[in-house]
Amino acid sequence: MERLHFHHELENLKITVLNMAAQTRDAFENAISAYVRRDSDLAQQVIDGDRHINQIEVDVDKRALRLLALEQPMARDLRMIIGNMKISNELERIADQAVNISERSLFLSQYPPLEKTAAMDRLMETSRTMLKQAIACLRDLDAQAARAVRKMDDQADEHTLQVLKSLIELMVADAPAIDKRRDKTRRSIQTIIISRCLERVGDLSTNIGEHVAFIVEGINIKHQKIQEEDGEI
Amino acid sequence: MTENVKFAIKNLDFFYGNFKALEDITLELNQCRVSALIGPSGCGKSTFLRCLNRMNDLIPTTRVEGEILLDDQNIYSPSVDVVSLRRRVGMVFQKPNPFPKTIFDNVAYGLRVNGVKNKNLLRQRVEKSLKQAALWDEIKDRLNQSALGLSGGQQQRLCIARALAVEPDVLLMDEPASALDPIATQKIEDLIHELKNDFTIIIVTHNMQQAARVSDITAFFYMGRLIEAGDTETLFTRPGLQQTEDYITGRFG
Repeated sequence: MERLHFHHELENLKITVLNMAAQTRDAFENAISAYVRRDSDLAQQVIDGDRHINQIEVDVDKRALRLLALEQPMARDLRMIIGNMKISNELERIADQAVNISERSLFLSQYPPLEKTAAMDRLMETSRTMLKQAIACLRDLDAQAARAVRKMDDQADEHTLQVLKSLIELMVADAPAIDKRRDKTRRSIQTIIISRCLERVGDLSTNIGEHVAFIVEGINIKHQKIQEEDGEI
Repeated sequence: MTENVKFAIKNLDFFYGNFKALEDITLELNQCRVSALIGPSGCGKSTFLRCLNRMNDLIPTTRVEGEILLDDQNIYSPSVDVVSLRRRVGMVFQKPNPFPKTIFDNVAYGLRVNGVKNKNLLRQRVEKSLKQAALWDEIKDRLNQSALGLSGGQQQRLCIARALAVEPDVLLMDEPASALDPIATQKIEDLIHELKNDFTIIIVTHNMQQAARVSDITAFFYMGRLIEAGDTETLFTRPGLQQTEDYITGRFG
């Protein structure tokens, strides 16, 4: 009673979600490049491409629902379907953050650049790494690597806080003319919003890692303290 | 809270002649719980079920080693009366097998064999059993008609009523719904949920979704061995062993 047809369909679902993950990662990478390089065309490209990622999410939901209803999956197969549905939802939200970043970048590219902050560079790097690692652990179904992603979440939060602090300082700093200060405030707020988007990508990547741990091990590690999991408490 | 163990099976081996059909089965089945036995054809699950009320004794050249304790008493001990054992451990088979008698006489059969002659008592027990088997409302006006005129699903519930009439502790069910349509199957499954309040139920099923729906505990058998047994929800969502996982997800079998 090997269920070849069902397992073939399940394999296709996994491939679709991996493909969606690759497109989402590209969208996020492009959003960061568009912000850093002040590239309006690239930012617009990310915004336009979001529709396609949304469509994949709808497709994944539809196919997963069909497998659940018709195939009555068990054990890891069941977790694979539920997990992939949730992961595609996280990916769609990451792609939305990429759009958000791109929209802010379009605004920022009309003005002179703000002073660079080290915290922003670190935040970009951390969120990129988190997403990359989340996708790698999804590809490899590696629960340990998935746990490593969520350990990075605190770093992302810390960098976001630092960005906020440094931009607030910038905003309150003396400026020669009131108009110039107003522009700087606008740019700073937009940049803070970008930092918030980057931080959200870290959160959503953490969620992906948690879904992978659920698929592989069948346990829910969400809302569980990392120390508890490591047996430190 | 520790549950009451109804059946404690210890190192059970079972042979058909020289063929060892069950090997070293150790398992506890709790009172007022539904335990499902699953596994591919020929894995020994039905043989195991039939060991629990010594139905295999009817097959020549069979042999049992190890122990099966029912309420702490070894059912294979020479002092055990097999007839009274089977009264305590009733059985329902895959294919409904009503006797060619009236509905009433089918249900009353076991009681009469056990010497019950009081007509009032017989009537009371027949009504109670038919109600327990969720059949009373459908057939209360035709108790004196032949049981063979009932539908397949009704016949199976009649067989359950017949088994319940002698007030057993345990009900063994060997694929009780495999010959029934989905609606009749649903009624049997609902019935199992009701009956577990009063009886210990052990069910063999090929239908894993059915095992998942009706049972509290599931035991997976493969090639005469008990591979894994445990809480049904855990076994079907997060089995402990790869072999169980492969079977329930349809990767072998």
